[in-house]
Amino acid sequence: MDVTPPAEVVERRINARQAYRSDLKPVWCPGCGDYSVLTALFAALAELQIPPHQIALISGIGCSSRLPGYAATYGLNTIHGRPIPVATGLKSARPDLTVIAMAGDGDALSIGGGHFPHAARRNIGMAYFVMDNNVYGLTKGQTSPTTPTGEQTATSLYGWPEDPANPLGLALAYGVSFVAQGVAGDVKGLARLMVEAIQWPGFAFIEILSPCVTWRGKEQYDVIRDRARPIPPEHDVTDLAAAFRYAHDPEHLYVGVHYRQRKPTFQERVTALQQKAAAKGAGNFDRYLAKFRA
Amino acid sequence: MSTSHTIDFAALTLQDALDLGILIEEDARERYGEFVDQLEAHYTEEAAAFFRNMVRNEGKHRDWLTKRRTSLFGAAPSRVDASMLVEIEAPEFSEADIFMTLRQALDVALKAEVRAYRFFADALKHVRDPQVRELFTELRDEEVEHQQMVQREIDKLPPGPEPDTRGQADEPVGH
Ligand SMILES: Cc1ncc(C[n+]2csc(CCOP(=O)(O)OP(=O)(O)O)c2C)c(N)n1
Ligand code: SF4
Repeated sequence: MDVTPPAEVVERRINARQAYRSDLKPVWCPGCGDYSVLTALFAALAELQIPPHQIALISGIGCSSRLPGYAATYGLNTIHGRPIPVATGLKSARPDLTVIAMAGDGDALSIGGGHFPHAARRNIGMAYFVMDNNVYGLTKGQTSPTTPTGEQTATSLYGWPEDPANPLGLALAYGVSFVAQGVAGDVKGLARLMVEAIQWPGFAFIEILSPCVTWRGKEQYDVIRDRARPIPPEHDVTDLAAAFRYAHDPEHLYVGVHYRQRKPTFQERVTALQQKAAAKGAGNFDRYLAKFRA
Repeated sequence: MSTSHTIDFAALTLQDALDLGILIEEDARERYGEFVDQLEAHYTEEAAAFFRNMVRNEGKHRDWLTKRRTSLFGAAPSRVDASMLVEIEAPEFSEADIFMTLRQALDVALKAEVRAYRFFADALKHVRDPQVRELFTELRDEEVEHQQMVQREIDKLPPGPEPDTRGQADEPVGH
């Protein structure tokens, strides 16, 4: 919370966050990390004072993907693994909207994993929040791509034999222009990261460690708390190699912005192309098509 | 975990301080309300009933501060930013539990009141304005009263070990 200087007095609603809340009551399990993510999102939107009708939240399927239903913004609970393509289409058609895609770790890295690198290389102007609980929550606790090696789950009773994917490492390798990690247990810290991500001109990814108390137990909070460390303030966020080192640290989960590098967005490139085409004048599409006739 | 505040307490005026107090109470009221919804949905009625009480209490405190604010400063626009004000007196979401007993609910509230006490006690180290000092001292001392009130409720509970509510749920498969 900041006290704004008198010169910039802004009248804010006492309960500014409430403006974003829908009438639907969340049905997540008590203790679920996703409650904190929702509150952090409301805080970030209130801080940015974006009117609800200018926001679209696009999710896939999963416990975490219920989130758009709880917000009084536009939103779409799409199909499993597809928030990125739907959000990409929306942002392309309505670049004026604040588009936020969101997913669980299963949604984002299993079935929807193929969309991630393409959103990154296109640098679509949207935020992408992945609520990672290391498990498929909605479908009752099966392993996901981020389940740690050796973990016992509903589908790995003797321990999980695979190595987990590293979402931050993948984002960096794919060329995502804004990469950060937040934890559900720190609502205010997470909200601040969301403010940055939402304002970022380009594709902004936040890996959110959001415990599933039902299938991973409350202990998941302790595990995260023990391993979480703020990213050191001296970290140069444009240093990709350093960002990789933090992302792959074997001991600690670094919280904060790992990487940030401005590059042209998809919308900027498309606008440039439109201007180029307009300068050339109207083309003859039929003549162009004729080239392909046998 | 949300304990970092960036409030410039030395610059707070009485109006800001009252607005801040209102927001803190509102945040707590809102959170207890969410706990009520969560626990009602899972038929954890005793804990839900206690949290419902907390909603009323926090609402009363908020209204009392609002009355004071209005009588002193009318509808003067607030200079305090509400959006990032979270979990000063409100319990953290992680503290809710599907099979929460009344004792666990009371413990959660007690912890939140202690946190709020610490907030005002720490703030008082930086406050300069004498009227703000007076208000924050009052609010800090009220947190002690709230703690005592919750403690009295805890003391009324029958002695003996807590029922193992974990057994009522499926074991999290990972443990
Ligand atoms: C095409 C398709 N395949 C599979 C499913 C079943 N399904 C629903 S949610 C889900 C995984 C949920 O896990 P995650 O995405 O990590 O979200 P969480 O529930 O943990 O928040 C699966 C496999 C589905 N709904 N649609
Ligand atoms: S099953 Fe897990 S992820 Fe789903 S609502 Fe419950 S705690 Fe949250």
